Amino acid sequence: MYDLIIVGGGPAGVAAGVYAGRKRIKALLVTDTFGGQSLVSNEVQNWIGTKSISGFDLGKNLEEHLREYSDVEIMDGAWVKSIIKEDKGFRLQVSDDKSVNTRTVLIATGSRHRKLEVPGEKELEGKGVAYCSTCDAPLFEGKVVAVIGGGNSGLEAVRDLIPYAKEIYLLIRSEKTKGDPVTFEKISGNPKVHIVTMAQTKEILGTDHARGLRYVDLETSMDKELLVEGVFVEIGTVPNSELVKGLAEINPYGEIIVDHKTQRTSVPGIWAAGDVCDVLYKQNNISVGDAIKAALNIERYLHKE
Amino acid sequence: MDQKKITIYSTPMCVYCRLAKDFFKKHNLQYTEIDVLRDMKAREEMFAKSKQMGVPVIDIDGEIFVGFDKGSLEKILGVRQM
Repeated sequence: MYDLIIVGGGPAGVAAGVYAGRKRIKALLVTDTFGGQSLVSNEVQNWIGTKSISGFDLGKNLEEHLREYSDVEIMDGAWVKSIIKEDKGFRLQVSDDKSVNTRTVLIATGSRHRKLEVPGEKELEGKGVAYCSTCDAPLFEGKVVAVIGGGNSGLEAVRDLIPYAKEIYLLIRSEKTKGDPVTFEKISGNPKVHIVTMAQTKEILGTDHARGLRYVDLETSMDKELLVEGVFVEIGTVPNSELVKGLAEINPYGEIIVDHKTQRTSVPGIWAAGDVCDVLYKQNNISVGDAIKAALNIERYLHKE
Repeated sequence: MDQKKITIYSTPMCVYCRLAKDFFKKHNLQYTEIDVLRDMKAREEMFAKSKQMGVPVIDIDGEIFVGFDKGSLEKILGVRQM
């Protein structure tokens, strides 16, 4: 029986792990990889105390810091399948068909790429439909591609594609970008880049491979088609809150509702921190602080019980 | 026992490729890396093997893995701890 199981290896999970280690709480952290969503960032410039760091190094540093605390067990390359409430605490079903018991749980599962949910997207994933521009941009060398999403991650995907793609269409659903003006000005001046506003994607076309997409021009309500071989989807994130669905209270956005003083969820014994909960600003530094609030509150709870 | 033959198709900026390579190094596993950014022939080979346009693609004795799924790799390579 553990005192605490932390689910997730991003900034929130690791921060809670380090504090649990220092407080000698008998803890287990379960994660697939370390670093969270920043892992694929080329450069993070707002991780406080470090002027610039790659997402890869950020993840590595987090893992190394946590491994300093040998009291905290780590199960990586793994994930939690379900959480079941029992008389005394919880039973977690972990990959490899393992089952572990704990008195408390911290959900630090973050969020994931939002999908378009249009016909053709799932069928053509990895066959032209891509979600990681830093990984896959070079594979679209000399090709015509589309980036869907007018926020910062859409703009960054365009930036990643400029050295390789022949032409890049940026599809934005509203009248203008929601991203940083500085980034937008840089990419919109490039002759390879075509900005298409008021465009709502309806379908990805192709059988073995993406060959185009269909969108509605929201100004004229006309259906239009673009011939592209690559579609990079960058339309925001969805919280990974499925684990506590039906257990803890979740808001209409899928975020776990927490008490922001302590990070407690509606279920005694379960805490949540980071992008998975209803925190207003999804930021690495905030996730760290919130997870530490949770860890300290969990320690208090364990002593009182 | 001879080590299984590992080939990883990667691009220079791909983080999951680096994670996979670090994982092989950690377990002292020999691997061949093919940079599909520069090698167009290898890129075609990768598409043919994986029917996919995404990296990393990892070929372990003919079994194809797309992406870095540590759990699956640990299992097939026999290095799963716990």
